[in-house]
Amino acid sequence: MTIPASNAAAIAVPAQRSRARGRLRQSLYIYLPAALLILIIFMCFIYPLIVSVPAPVGGSVLNADLPAGTPGHLLGTDDSGNDLFSRLLYGGRVSLEVGAATQVIGLVLGGLIGMVAGYSRGLLSAVLMRVLDIFIAFPSLVLALAIAEGLGPGELHVIWALSFYSVPAFARLARGATLRLRDQNYMLAASMSGTPRWRIILFHLAPNLLPQQLTFALLGAGVAIIQEGALSFLSLGVPPPGASWGNMIASGMNTLSVRPSLVLLPSLALLITVVALNLLGDGLRARWSAR
Amino acid sequence: MTVTQSTNRTDNLAAANPEAAPVDNTVAPPPGARRLASYGPLRSSLLRLAVRRLLTAIPVVWGVTFLGFAVMNLLPGDAAQALLGADATPQQVAQLSKQLHLDEPFFTRYWNWLTAALSGHLGSSLGSGQLVTTILSQRLPVTFELLLYAFIISLVIAIPVATLAARRPGGVFDSVTTFISMIGLSFAPYILALFLILFFAVDLSVFPALGWTPISGGFGENLRSLTLPALSLGFPIGCFYTRLLRADVIEQLEEDYATTAVAKGLPGWRVLLRHATPNSMFGLITVVALNVGTLLGGTVIVEQIFGLPGIGEELFQSIQTRDFPVLEGIVVVFAVVVVVIGLLADLLYAVLDPRIRYDNPGQ
Repeated sequence: MTIPASNAAAIAVPAQRSRARGRLRQSLYIYLPAALLILIIFMCFIYPLIVSVPAPVGGSVLNADLPAGTPGHLLGTDDSGNDLFSRLLYGGRVSLEVGAATQVIGLVLGGLIGMVAGYSRGLLSAVLMRVLDIFIAFPSLVLALAIAEGLGPGELHVIWALSFYSVPAFARLARGATLRLRDQNYMLAASMSGTPRWRIILFHLAPNLLPQQLTFALLGAGVAIIQEGALSFLSLGVPPPGASWGNMIASGMNTLSVRPSLVLLPSLALLITVVALNLLGDGLRARWSAR
Repeated sequence: MTVTQSTNRTDNLAAANPEAAPVDNTVAPPPGARRLASYGPLRSSLLRLAVRRLLTAIPVVWGVTFLGFAVMNLLPGDAAQALLGADATPQQVAQLSKQLHLDEPFFTRYWNWLTAALSGHLGSSLGSGQLVTTILSQRLPVTFELLLYAFIISLVIAIPVATLAARRPGGVFDSVTTFISMIGLSFAPYILALFLILFFAVDLSVFPALGWTPISGGFGENLRSLTLPALSLGFPIGCFYTRLLRADVIEQLEEDYATTAVAKGLPGWRVLLRHATPNSMFGLITVVALNVGTLLGGTVIVEQIFGLPGIGEELFQSIQTRDFPVLEGIVVVFAVVVVVIGLLADLLYAVLDPRIRYDNPGQ
């Protein structure tokens, strides 16, 4: 009987010590992944400008499959003789850009649609909701595949294609939050004092939705980075001579049993980035909801 | 809330039996009405919920078919060109287009497709000439088996781990599993698939890296060929569900009824297993329903990697060859699955929690 009693105590009254530990853990979950993300962004975007790294493309076949630690090639080269380390950095640019761009598009467009759908009543709201329902029920991958196939492979087209994932998701989130905030006193006060609707939506509603939308964007960026890889796998991502983590994994798959490092390195880079994004999003959500 | 509740009840009663007088809970109802009160409201309100949800689902499914058609129409190049190859003369392309009715206006084609689809004819593949329904019936079982397997794996991970972790929040088991599940849910299915292939198929060779054994080739072999694909889909979602469920169970343990149970001297594990965990399933049901679409999308790439003859592979091909009847068939199936699972989740929710049946009828 000792176990349930102590158990109940641990559940019902959190001790002072565990609360302090919880706070420490909460900041760890924010600062650690944030630092990791800053490091990754620095390595991908700024490091190649400061330190000269070999070009990510146009390597000679004579240098193909060099092992890691070869002078001039820190991590060795791939089967076309391109420097692996430099491809990791330049490939990371694509992944991060795709992650950021799709979330910005989703946040602005989806947030706007969701706020209008949530704030307006009657026909407009009903029509917007049904259209969103259709986009949510429509298999997004079909849309992404069709767009990537129709426009041809390329980073910009990947961004357009993947935005079809992010816009409805943000819209649904924003609508839900708007419905909760719509009847708050400050919103009623604003509308009764004659503030125009667009002003209420942009200056009263939007700032209150932003924290939630930003944490969602961090989680969404991770998903977008994964989806970029999926499109690359189906050869609809960034076309091969150019590097992205996704197409490095896809092309390394052919030599998986011979040289697993060609797959493992970009996979690890992708995994670490997504873990950092998820941790940060989660940590921020915990902090903001605690208030 | 109490107001809507009581009006709904009488509404339901009235709908079930026009002769029954409006019933007030405080007054003892006549015997017939009491029987209705115990069965009628449940059945009729569930039915009403089902009908209402079905009615909203119809325009959604229709919109999905239209969107699918429009997307295919916007793709450059058509099926005739894709079928004949790059060497075909414009005359040949034009002739085949006419033969396949591709030269008709967009809305005519859509109308023809829609009317045929409503009577159950989804057309036949432009490439192979096979009936779309035949293709679907060959491909769908593989994908559904994979999805079911992955789903079972995810629940087998999520429910015990979340329950044990919630038992002592912040404890060793909780910290370790929280960390692992955070990494696990960040795994892309294709990356996990490659890791699994590398470890289980190349190094240990316990599972095949490629291919699929039909059930006719033995159920064990069939499961063996689906284990790695199902794991690569199921493990990340399992980790995701674990986190959700853990948070819900902890929340339930803080509720008054759990405190009461503990105060009455019920052992902690009993409170956990009999009260908190079952009551935490609601959040999970919603998320599972919302996730079906994503999961279906995930099968495309996993089937591609493991060479499974499922619907995902067919979908990829049909987009590349502009085979719109096949694509439309797949899109319709996907949409219907998503909508039906959403509907089932709502109904399950209502069965589990009677309050939902009576609350706000119109959304």
